[in-house]
Amino acid sequence: MDRRRELSQRWSWIIIEANHFYNSPLASAFAQMQKQTACDVFHVSSVSVNHINLSSSLTPVPSTFFCDRLFAAILKGTVNDATSFPSPSKSHGSYHWAFERVLSAALVPVTVGAAVSTGSAYPIMDGILAISLIIHSHIGFDSCLVDYLHPRKFKLVGPLAQWLLKIATGLSVWGVYEFNTNDIGLTELVRRMWTA
Amino acid sequence: MFRPSASSALRSIPSSSRLVASSAPSASRAFHATASASLATPAESKSAQVKEFKIYRWNPDTPSEKPKLQSYKVDLSQCGPMMLDALIKIKNELDPTLTFRRSCREGICGSCAMNIDGVNTLACLCRIDKDTNKDSKVYPLPHMYIVKDLVPDLTHFYKQYKSIEPFLKNDNPPAQGEFLQTQEDRKKLDGMYECILCACCSTSCPSYWWNQDQYLGPAVLMQAYRWMADSRDSYGAERKEKMQNTMSLYRCHTIFNCSRTCPKGLNPAMAIAKMKLEMATE
Repeated sequence: MDRRRELSQRWSWIIIEANHFYNSPLASAFAQMQKQTACDVFHVSSVSVNHINLSSSLTPVPSTFFCDRLFAAILKGTVNDATSFPSPSKSHGSYHWAFERVLSAALVPVTVGAAVSTGSAYPIMDGILAISLIIHSHIGFDSCLVDYLHPRKFKLVGPLAQWLLKIATGLSVWGVYEFNTNDIGLTELVRRMWTA
Repeated sequence: MFRPSASSALRSIPSSSRLVASSAPSASRAFHATASASLATPAESKSAQVKEFKIYRWNPDTPSEKPKLQSYKVDLSQCGPMMLDALIKIKNELDPTLTFRRSCREGICGSCAMNIDGVNTLACLCRIDKDTNKDSKVYPLPHMYIVKDLVPDLTHFYKQYKSIEPFLKNDNPPAQGEFLQTQEDRKKLDGMYECILCACCSTSCPSYWWNQDQYLGPAVLMQAYRWMADSRDSYGAERKEKMQNTMSLYRCHTIFNCSRTCPKGLNPAMAIAKMKLEMATE
């Protein structure tokens, strides 16, 4: 209870997504609170209504559920504080970007080379093509996961998806190795499917 | 504040001097009027062109009520040419509770940024489509927290702008006078310094929609590059170093919505591309 009261005093600026507010648990929590306390708990002005000033509430916040929800919706710092940057790392920044571009560009001549040669005659070329394609796909899928399933938002599904991708990529590399060494290889497969 | 009792009391005061003052100029005008002026007839009233405007409404005083589109009918022959004229007309004559930001009405303040017929733009620079068969839909900037009706909360956007330190940083100012710059160096800033931070581009970017808590978005990134590109600023390396992470800059996937929607005709995607190239090749 003390922790909750402390939180409600410390975090005075709270953002609530108005678009989704009407049917959110917050809205019902609000209604419930107003019923319980029989008073206008929150200072709600039309000027800054999605900044609800908790410090001006007349009663302490009663429910754990309510506070946790509020905590999740907090804008960090005051309105005058700048947002912060993640710790810098070139391997996540410019190196990653440059590698991605170089790989994409390199795939063009490698694909052409594989198309005009035979996989069985040039197994190294075949291997390079296969591995490049897998890494290219891995980076692409990873980018999707960062965009749509980032672990900061999806606590369970986010890391799970990342591990699934890693496992899938690993299996692909292994599979391609087996296929290229013990079987006809990727280029030959495409060639046969093309003429089939 | 409208106070009927006070205004009616004022109106009821008889003023002989006012009567004289009002009658005198009309007499003199009739005396001096040229023949052609007396022949002038009032312009024929244009035929009514009633167009329907559907405007996003959400009232914070009733937070449990769903946001809705409210319909207003405006006669375009009695209204200015721009979307902002229509909004102001609606607010003045139809519904004073309609809430939106506006200030300069000439595209220099960036207050009236909103989503009009599916495109983020400034209401003051957006002509009303004269086709009265089609309605016009007006929404606030997409994927933002809404304060009321067409007013989005740009707090986070401004916090992000602050984070890139949008000011000249140089530890060795010239001994006297001001920083000098060649014309070529000055030209590098053209197309970037004109940004009015209306947030049209950032809120049109899908990447910004999904990750705006960490991705800076085109408007802020272009301003970040504006200071990297400035020959007078000596903190370019530090500024670039900050961008070396997955989220701040590299969530840009060159979708180009930013350049397409910019009501000032600027090209944030170009600035971001230059920044990426410089960071990769330095």
